[in-house]
This record gives sequence, structure tokens and C-alpha cells, in this order.
Amino acid sequence: MSAREPRPFDPLRILAELERRRVAYVVIGALAGVLHGTDEITDRIDICPQMKEDNLERLQRALEELGGRRGRRKDLVLDEESLLGAPVTAIATDAGEVQIVPQPAGTRGYADVRRGSSREPLGEGVRAPVASVDDLARMMTTLGRRGDEGRLAVLRRLAELERGPGIAR
Amino acid sequence: MSSSGSLIREARLRAGLSQGDLGQRTGKDRAQIARWERDEVSPPYETVLMLVRACGFDLSSELLPYDESLSERIRDVLPLSPQDRLKRMLQRRAGGGA
Repeated sequence: MSAREPRPFDPLRILAELERRRVAYVVIGALAGVLHGTDEITDRIDICPQMKEDNLERLQRALEELGGRRGRRKDLVLDEESLLGAPVTAIATDAGEVQIVPQPAGTRGYADVRRGSSREPLGEGVRAPVASVDDLARMMTTLGRRGDEGRLAVLRRLAELERGPGIAR
Repeated sequence: MSSSGSLIREARLRAGLSQGDLGQRTGKDRAQIARWERDEVSPPYETVLMLVRACGFDLSSELLPYDESLSERIRDVLPLSPQDRLKRMLQRRAGGGA
């Protein structure tokens, strides 16, 4: 692969596998923003999974099917203890990186994020659950990262436009 | 700008409070707080400020220049379906962000 060639990223393949395995999750992060209408470019999927044992087993099987690797570890073990031990767990797959975020900043985890989420049709029969714009803005506000001001402004404007005419010109 | 409902909800959740907890702290009815959070009814600014402060936060009210270009950028993408937004992003990514 040349240095200019982008890393492989096939979000539909990843999401299709999660759906096929009936994994309970919500798409968050930049890709969720893109699906709502931001103009970012990303090469990974951030998900907030339900942390029940059987769901994590389904998630593990889905990621194994995608050739999932966790750092230098040979085996891919996704259990509650190891996932909760870090705010984010990155899994490299043949279809791109998946970041697992058990408790997105400013939220109480899957049940909280799922409440405002919507299932979005993305093609090839995939309907992925995507976090709401308000929840994405909440996460970003809580993270308070320098350099996110522009992205946050876009998310907030998007929320205004989604709510309809009245505030945004 | 967030809606008043999402501001109240965000402050409450970040404080780890239920709607009932916030109601007890502020003397407001839990059902009324729920209606405000759903943006069914818009409370006065002073009420939003009081609720947010009851969660341990403050609201910054300052006048900033309105950036029309943000809406312009979004309006190009907003008419697209989520499927087309994803395709567009992947095409831009493959083209080096153009």
C-alpha cells in the first residue's frame, strides 16, 4: 500500500455484520455526525454497545468475523471488565477501525444514548442505530477537547435546522 | 445553540440526576420538567437558568457574530439521505478530502 492510499474503510460491511449478529449498539462519534449531515471525513466507526455479557459475545463474534485485532493480542476477548477498564477500546478490522466506547462522555452509556437514537437506512439492507445530534453535541461538550469548537458549532446548527425554522436563518 | 430542552436534559444528566431529583431541588413538577426537556413547552430563560444552576452548571449568555457559512455548509448535505451522506463522505475520503 502506498503512503497516499487511504486505509481500508468499509463501514457498511462492519455495520452489516453487527446487524447480522444482532449486536445491540449505537453509532456515535464522527460517523454518526456524518449520517446526520456534518461534512467531516472519518475512517473509523465509534460504537457504544450494550454491556450485557451475551451482547458482548455477539459483538466479539462479529468483530472476529471481520478479522478483528486488539493491539498485539492474538485473541480478541471483549468482556465487560476489560472494556470498562478504558474509555475507548480500538479494534482494527479488515474493514476499518472500530472504537468501542462503553460510556460516552456526558452519558450514562448504551441505554441513555439509545433513547434518542434513530435507525437510519444506509443501503444493502442495513439500518443502523445512530445517536441523536443533541447527544453527539452533549458528548463533545463534555469532552471539552481543544479544536472541537468548529465541529460542535456545526452539530448545534444542525440540531437547530433539524428542529425546523425559527432560530436558524 | 441547543434548545432549552436539550440544555436542561444535558445539565441534569451530567449532574447524574433524575427528573424527579431535579424537581425536588427546584420545587418544579417532574412532569413539567419532562415536557420542557422534550421541547413540548419552552420555559422562560430565567427558569432554564435556575434549572441548569440547580444541576451545578451555569449558562453563558453573550452575543457572538452569527456564522451564516455554517448553515450554508449544512444545507448542502441536509437534503441528502443518510445513505447518500455516507456515500458522499466515502467519495470525499477516497478523493483525499476534496
